[in-house]
This record gives sequence, C-alpha cells and structure tokens, in this order.
Amino acid sequence: MNRSSMVRFYGWFTLLGLLVGGLVVLGYYKDEYREWKDYQRQFVQEEVRRAATPQQKAVAESTPIEIRQILLPDLNRVDRCTTCHLGVEDPSYGGYPQPLAYHPLHEQHPFEKFGCTVCHRGQGRATTVADAHGDVAHWDQPMLPLQYIQASCGQCHEAAENPAAPELARGQQVFETSGCRGCHKLDGVGGNIGPELDKVGARRAPEWLKKHFLTPAAVTPGSAMPPQKLSETNLEAIVLFMLSQTGESAPGYYASMKVLPSVDQGQRLFQQKGCIGCHTVGGQGGKVGPVLDDVGLRRSPEWMMLHFRDPQSVTPGSVMPKFGFTDTEARALTEFLLHIRERNLASTLPSLMNSAERGRGVFRKYGCAGCHGPDGKGGVPNPNAKTAEQVPGLIYVADGYTKDELKKRIFNGQREITPLDPKRPPPPLYMPPWRSLINDAEVDDLTAYLFSLLPKGENTGF
Amino acid sequence: MGRSIFRVGLPQSNLERSQAMTSSFLLHIQPAKVHKHSLKAGYSLGLGLISLYLFFILIGTGVLLMFYYVPSTDRAYNTMKDLQFVVSAGLILRNMHRWAAHLMVLFVMLHLCRVFYTGAYKRPREFNWVIGVGLFLMTLGLSFTGYLLPWDQLAFWAITVGTSIAGYAPIIGPKVKYLLLGGNIVGQESLTRFYALHVIVLPTLTLMMVAVHLWRVRKDGGLSRPDESGDVVEQIPLGQLPTNKSYGLMELARGTTPQVGKNPEDEVFSWPHLVFREILLFLLVAAVVLFLAIFWNAPLEEYANPIHPPNPAKAPWYFLGLQEFVSYSAFWGGVVIPGLLVTALLLLPYLDRNRAGVGRWFARERMVANSIFTLCLLAAIVFTIIGTFFRGPNWGWVEPWRRPPAITEGH
Amino acid sequence: MNHSPAQDPNDVSRRGFLQLTLGWLAGTFAIAASAAGAVRFLVPNVLFEPSQLFKAGKAEDYPDGSVTFLEAERVFLVRQGNTYRCLSAICTHLGCTVDRADHGYHCPCHGSVFDDQGSVKGGPAPRGLAWFQVALSKDNRLLVDKSRTVPADKYLVLPTKV
Repeated sequence: MNRSSMVRFYGWFTLLGLLVGGLVVLGYYKDEYREWKDYQRQFVQEEVRRAATPQQKAVAESTPIEIRQILLPDLNRVDRCTTCHLGVEDPSYGGYPQPLAYHPLHEQHPFEKFGCTVCHRGQGRATTVADAHGDVAHWDQPMLPLQYIQASCGQCHEAAENPAAPELARGQQVFETSGCRGCHKLDGVGGNIGPELDKVGARRAPEWLKKHFLTPAAVTPGSAMPPQKLSETNLEAIVLFMLSQTGESAPGYYASMKVLPSVDQGQRLFQQKGCIGCHTVGGQGGKVGPVLDDVGLRRSPEWMMLHFRDPQSVTPGSVMPKFGFTDTEARALTEFLLHIRERNLASTLPSLMNSAERGRGVFRKYGCAGCHGPDGKGGVPNPNAKTAEQVPGLIYVADGYTKDELKKRIFNGQREITPLDPKRPPPPLYMPPWRSLINDAEVDDLTAYLFSLLPKGENTGF
Repeated sequence: MGRSIFRVGLPQSNLERSQAMTSSFLLHIQPAKVHKHSLKAGYSLGLGLISLYLFFILIGTGVLLMFYYVPSTDRAYNTMKDLQFVVSAGLILRNMHRWAAHLMVLFVMLHLCRVFYTGAYKRPREFNWVIGVGLFLMTLGLSFTGYLLPWDQLAFWAITVGTSIAGYAPIIGPKVKYLLLGGNIVGQESLTRFYALHVIVLPTLTLMMVAVHLWRVRKDGGLSRPDESGDVVEQIPLGQLPTNKSYGLMELARGTTPQVGKNPEDEVFSWPHLVFREILLFLLVAAVVLFLAIFWNAPLEEYANPIHPPNPAKAPWYFLGLQEFVSYSAFWGGVVIPGLLVTALLLLPYLDRNRAGVGRWFARERMVANSIFTLCLLAAIVFTIIGTFFRGPNWGWVEPWRRPPAITEGH
Repeated sequence: MNHSPAQDPNDVSRRGFLQLTLGWLAGTFAIAASAAGAVRFLVPNVLFEPSQLFKAGKAEDYPDGSVTFLEAERVFLVRQGNTYRCLSAICTHLGCTVDRADHGYHCPCHGSVFDDQGSVKGGPAPRGLAWFQVALSKDNRLLVDKSRTVPADKYLVLPTKV
C-alpha cells in the first residue's frame, strides 16, 4: 500500500464526499423553500400589522406556516387553494390584492362543503401558483376565466332558472333557439351529425369554443358545421353554456341541492309528471283529483309538502300515488301551486295545445332550425348544394309533400345531396335519418307544424 | 463496546486487513485479497457494482415511497400529486426512484455487454452468466411493473402496449397476459398485481439472485482476467498441493480460488484497495442520482383515461425496439426474435466453449463472436432510437427535427 | 511543513489529513442529513381525516337554554343566554357516544352518568367529558376546535343581540 495511492484516494473521497454533501444540502433547500410559504408569511405580516391589541398580535404571530386544505371526499377532491388564499372568508380583506382577497358570495356554498375547484377548476392538490391554476402541461382543467364562472353553476343547477347566473340562462336560450340540436345531441336529444355535447365543457377551452363557433372548419378540418352568426354577447353566452356541460355528476349531498325550488322548476315538474292527467287547471284536464286553480288559497304550504311526501297521510283514501319527490322537488311544486294562477298554463301544457302548436315545440326540441333556418325560413349555407348552395327552407313543404311523404322523408333523411358542380367537393351538410331519434307522435305533430308554415294565400296548387 | 460491534479496529497490519473482511457480515462475501487486475477501472468499469448500488438506492427510496403511495386506481394518481406538492422531500425521492430505475436498466445492459466483450461468461463462469441474464430479466420486470404504478396516461398506455406484446406469444401468451393483468383489461386488478410484484416478489427474487451471483463471482475465482498469469487451473493434482497453505475442502474440489501465495505480487488486500474503491463508486453513483433528481422531474401526465389513448401509445424506452419489431410483424417481431435473442443469451456460454480471449476487451480471437454481438447490439439500439424518435401518430414515420403540425386541440 | 514520506506508510501529510477529515465530515454529514431527511419525509404535513376545527353554524341557530347534538362531530353545543360552549359526546370510558338525559348525560354502553358540567356522577368513566374551545370565525360562525380542551368555566360570550 503506497502513500501516493492513499493520497489519491483521499483526494477523491473528499471531492465526492463534498459533492454528495453539497447535493444533499441543495436538495434540502429546494424542498424547504416553497412558494406558498412566502405567501403565507405575507398574510401573517398583514395580520400582525392589523392587530389592534397585543393579544391579537400574539395570536397573529403564532399562526403556523403550514399547508391548508379542504377535504371533499364526496367529490374526490382535495383543495389546497387556501394555503395561499388566506383571506377568502374574512370580509375585512375585501379589495386586497390576490392572493389575500376576500371571496364574496359564498354564503350559499360554504367552502368546507364545496371547496374551490368545483367552480373555479384548476388543480386543487397543487401548491404552486402555476400548477394550482392549472396552466401547465398534462392538466386538462385549467382555471376558468372569471367571465365564464357562471358555467360552473350549470353543473348542479338548471340553467334556465337561476337568477344568480343570468349569462348561463342566456346561453341555454341561444343554444335552444339556434337549433344546435339539429346536429348535436345534448342530454340524449338531438341529431347525430356532429359529436355529442354532454362533456364538451370538460374537454375544450373557452378560446377554442369561441373560434369553433365563428369558423368551425378552421379549428376542426373537414367540419360540416356552418359558421354561426352570433352577436358578441350571445357568443360569450353560448360559450359559457357549453363550458357548463362537463358531464360531472354530483353525489349525495350535492345532488339533493340540484334543483332550486323555484316556480319555474315546479312548473316543469308539473308538466313532466303529468299532473294534468288527474287534476284540472284553467278548465282543462282530468277529473279524478280536485281542481287546482286556487289550491293556494285553500291549503297551506306545510300541508302541500306533507301531501307530496305521502298523499294518504293527509287525505286518507286518496288514489294519488307517492311520487317519491325529494324535498327540493316538493318545495318547487309547492311554490308553483301557490302561483298557479299567474302562469298561463294553456300555452305550455302539451296536452292542451293543438297539434301544430305541439309540433313547433318538436321543431325547437330537435333543433331543426340549425339547418333549416329559424322557423324553417332557410338561409343556412351548404356549399355546392344544388338547392342554391343552401339547405332548403321548409315553408313550402305543404305544397310539395303529402303528410305521409313528409313523415317518410323525416324518418329516412337524405344522405346524398345533389351537388351543383360535380367537380367541387360534395356538400358537407346532409339530413340524418331521424327514425331512431324521434317518435311517431312527435313526427305527426311536426308535420302538422310544418304544414302550417305555408304563407297564407299562397296556394300554388301543386 | 465498539469491539463487540466492530471486531477489528482500523486495520494496521496485514492480518487485521484480512480480518476486516472475514469478520464482517457485510464485507465477508468479498475475499480477503483480490487480484490487482480486478481493480482496474478500465476493465470492468464497475458496471456491476453500479447496478447493485442503483438497486440499493431503489430499495431505499422505494420503501420510503411506500409510506404514501396507495395502489388503488382512485387514489394512486392523487398520492403522486401529494408526493410532489405536499410531502417533505417527496418530489426528490420520487425523482431519485425514477432516474435510478432508468439508470439501472441501462447499466445492467452495459454490464451484460462488458461481460460479453471480455469473454467473462466462459468456463468456469457459465452459470453465473445465466444468473446474470435472469437478473437482467428481473430488472426489466421491476421497471415494467413499477411503470404502471403512477396510473397516469403514460403508465396506463405503456403497460397496455407492453402486455399486448406479451399476449402475442403462441399458446402461453394470452394466458400470461391474463395472469399479469388479473383479467382482460388494465384495471384495478392489474394495479394490485403489479404492485405486489414490484414491491415484494421481484425484489426478493432479485436479491436472492444477486446473492447467488456475487457468491458465484467469489467461487469462480473473482472477476475474470487474462489467462497469461496462468493462475486459473482445472484441478490441482493432489500430490502437487503447495505446502505453505492449508486448504479447506471446497478449495480442493475446484482449484479456482485465487491461489494465495502463488502470485503474491499480483494480489492486494481487499481492505483498503477494493473496499475504498467501492465506497468511492457509491459516492459517485449517489451524486449522479441526486443531481438528476434535483434538476429534472420525473414525468406525470394526466390521470389514466382508458377512452383516450395518446397517439401514438408507446412502451417504456427499453421496450421500444420491441414495439418497432412488433409493428412489422406481431409474431415474428414480438415473439420469435425476442424469444430467440433471450434463448441465445441464455445458451451462450454453453455454445461458445472456446476459452480463448477471456479477460481482455475485444480479443482478436473472439472476432466472430464480438462481431455478431455488436451487430445485434447496434440493431437493438437503432430500433430503439427509431421507436423513440422517428415514430409519430399511428406509428407513422416522422422526422423529429421537423416541427409537428399545429394541433388545434382545446388546450 | 511537509515531511518526506515517513517509514510508516500510514502517515499522512497535514494537507492529506485535512482532506481526509473534510471528506469524512462531508460523507458523514451526507449520511446523517439523508437519514434526517428520510425521517422528515415520513412525518405527514397534511392529514386526510376530518378536521378537528369545524363551524357549528350561526349563533342565532341555537335557542337559548338549548343543548344541541351535532351528530357528525359527536359534540353537544350548549347555549345559555349569551354564552356558548361545546361538550364532547365521547364517553371517557371506552368511547361510546353519550346521550342527553333530562339533566346531564348518560352513556348507553356501560351506564356512565355525567352532570350538566360534564363531571362524572356514576358509572365506570374515569374522568369528565371534555369541553372544547368555541370562538367566532371571521364570517360570524361558531368555530369549534376539538384539538383544544378548555376548563368547564371557559366559554364564548357574544354581545347581546339575538
């Protein structure tokens, strides 16, 4: 064993020992000095500064610097946003810069039960700004820009009835009147030319959606969707409505909150459950149960709630079935019954309308306007189609078809569209077969409606 | 008290240097003296030791990670996020584990190449080579089973591809796939089985095989070295036993232990020459793994989504050459060729019995063998490179230096 | 001052000694720091249990003189005039949930009896029920901290309003 090799060895030993030691120290620093600790210290400093008494100051100074999280086992989420956003519950932090700012409007949705990411999206488990806000690779739910926040309401609440989310309601209205369902299915209803929209809000970013409405072929090569002419407000509204379609289902506690007990919801339930089959309203309806026009004057809300829960318990011998309403649904129906006089039901109850009126509802339900134009007036471009490069309007169908022919046409659709110029690419839009998507009764009403579109006095005698 | 734990203090005499090795549990698998040639860094490159150290690092970090990881499809991904964001040193430990794993696969392969090129698989070391190939397969298995555990898109689809390739084997393929996956799909059962394999079954088997592997190194006469020194003999005729040494029974049976006293100038004491080098090498390996772990994060993609495969879905890098083969022909590429290669590796020392060229790199006597091996090695490398860089969506050819077309996805 | 190599090959020069010591120190430090790091790693920074700190609703929700059982948290919220207190409902014997009796509390499992102050009046319970700290949160809710027990005579007093 000679000296020089030992010395060489010692030299390497020192070098490597220092290297490993240094790397361990570096690793320690990288781990210990985290972004969120700085934000928490900012908050503590502010609390200390604002402390009015030495007692309060002592309490503020002893605030531990630690990760804070909201556990939401029912939603399978953990939100650590409050690690940095420490002033969210304290109104005295209103107007402060982020992340210390107060979060208004959380009375109905306490943080302990809802967390943050169900509404704001982002990555709840992260503890750095970039990762938590979700603007990173491999996280497909970045934070929703604030202007679209009402989209999140639509995950649990009916779009059309929440006074706190008017943009969402507008978005749904634009959706229904633009005839999107003509090509796209939503909640199981609609055509099958374009993709289903039930989860579009979880997969597409707001910017993409906007571009897609304005120039579909630019973002989805080969798309048959015609560019949508929408005002800026309506565009933003429908984007917001699309963002609300995330396909998330809220379990247990949250599902019972799903229905806001509003008069609108009550009316909808009234129609859905077919109450008119046994009860009379406005002179129309069944004769099995009592007339309901002034039930609000005769019965208290408490009685009505009990009655919905178990009819036989308040009216022995009643033949009204137990519908199994949730409390919220029962409250909605009660609200509706108290205001039944104010609602002009005849125009909304299907059984009370005539066939053509019902058919108009069918026309709207399946979004025929998306291709055939509002009220069947046509005007939707279909490049290279022989029919003046447009999807034909429907107001003259009564001249060209019998009711049976029209029914057949609706059921079978028309796959091949005659091109204007065979050398150009074929027309992108075609009529899908609606046979499996629409039922016989609806088709009858629809044909009645379409026949009614013929402008008065224009019997061309075909 | 120190004496009761460390029986020998810092060795001051040659006797003590021998005793340091023989009286220590950890050290006694190594001989008291080693041949100088074995210490040459340029000979073995320490590749086997590096692989072993990486394995120890993996065990250490792996056990720690087990305190937080949950092998459930609902929770696994979330525990990965927690390790990254919330657990002290979680990110560094996870990174260490990932990079050490990739390095171990690489270094085990390099070690295999070294042993081949120095002809160290030849008699008397044939069986040790076989154990080594077994260890190589264990390493691949460990890496593959561990790959699934984060349950992200990368993990899920790599395992989908890998098990599909396994399923192509005739007759037993689908059965093996079914056993591995615990069913027909990659789901919770697969995760549970892969976890069991990864944390207990494969590590235990590997450790046992490592023990035998190191034992055999000792019993086969230490690391291979050139024959000129003439100290590897078949048998010592009984009448010719040197009289200056008393032999134990095992040393009589096979005369392959270093003949202590025969060539004294070629041997040195393990303590300190071998042991100190080993310590240095460990420090180096630890430094590299730490360095990688501090500056590069292990990947974690989106949560596994069985409906949305990435296009293309790629196997872990060490299987990409195989995936490329499979793209030509599932049977020939995925079953026959790899099967033949592994069989060839296992049978190698029994097919190549020519003892020439042991103990030297690229010995001319072994030109043919070396050439064949190099060819296969290059082919493996080329195909792995193709699979990694030159295959894009639908496994179509792409040129990695060209920018991909703008993807108008939603993100 | 550097001597030429001495007869004993184990001698090292001063510089060699320094190097060696530094190397050993660094190495030992690395090992010790790694061990300490491993231990710190194992200490959880967050818990996935329901929090000990919870909100019990608004003060006005509790009528004067009431004892309200909060099932999810296993506590009783006691209001007397303007004072608000929170009593643990976990029997100190073997952990069953006690019931409210006409006066005091009674454990159905092994018959322990507690008075209105939570002190043991009978049965196998070794000590009285714990009182938890009640404070007012920033958004005006009653904030109960089950990790802090307080003496029976410490309670939250709110200004007369309700």
